[in-house]
Amino acid sequence: MPSVSQSVRVKVLFFGRLKEIAGLTQDSIDLPAEADIESLFAHYANRYPQLRQYRSSLVASCNQEFTPWTTVLHADDEVAFLPPVSGG
Amino acid sequence: MATPSSDITKLVHEPIDPVALAAHVRGNADGAIVIFDGFVRDRSKNRRTLYLEYEAYEPMALAKIQEIAAHLHNQFSIHRVAMVHRLGRLEIGETSVYIAVSAPHRAAAFDACRYAIDTLKRTVPIWKKEYFEDGSVWADGELPPVPSATSAVKPAS
Repeated sequence: MPSVSQSVRVKVLFFGRLKEIAGLTQDSIDLPAEADIESLFAHYANRYPQLRQYRSSLVASCNQEFTPWTTVLHADDEVAFLPPVSGG
Repeated sequence: MATPSSDITKLVHEPIDPVALAAHVRGNADGAIVIFDGFVRDRSKNRRTLYLEYEAYEPMALAKIQEIAAHLHNQFSIHRVAMVHRLGRLEIGETSVYIAVSAPHRAAAFDACRYAIDTLKRTVPIWKKEYFEDGSVWADGELPPVPSATSAVKPAS
């Protein structure tokens, strides 16, 4: 069992307009144990307030699978915030 | 039936070669190939488009395309699949996505090809930015369905 004080480092990827708002394509961040994707997004929305308005029109992925915002993160997870897809 | 390993699924940064892809899926036991060739239109909502730029979450996009191809084999009586999406800057008229499905009979090929492009547009993490004379916008898209929290299985790291 990880102790409460232990932090986990995750990789975060930004695409589309999120990449333009944040001005970065990827980041590495230490999170408190038991942090979920919602709290990870909140962290970036505090740093880049323009991101907040897009929260309801995003999905999240963890390790390249679409995943709910309540997913708890683990060390070395790769998280991405994905705008509506428009391939084709 | 061919194994999915004989399919072609890829993301490319150079022009797509439709002739080679159609030839790849064509087999002697087939009676039909259905092709979807998606290419860049010169306008978007009545604005003149100059060019498009596509970007992708590449490893995930490729995995999702491969999932679609595998699903086609499970769901439809088909032979081979080629599914290729191009990334980067594309000019008017250039092919952005090309899907070819071969099958002994046409109905399965039509159904599978339709399913493939519809599912790609809804679930594959690729984004399109449209450039106009007076600026650029990210194209409206679709939000992929996400498994519910109760049914989600945490993927292995």
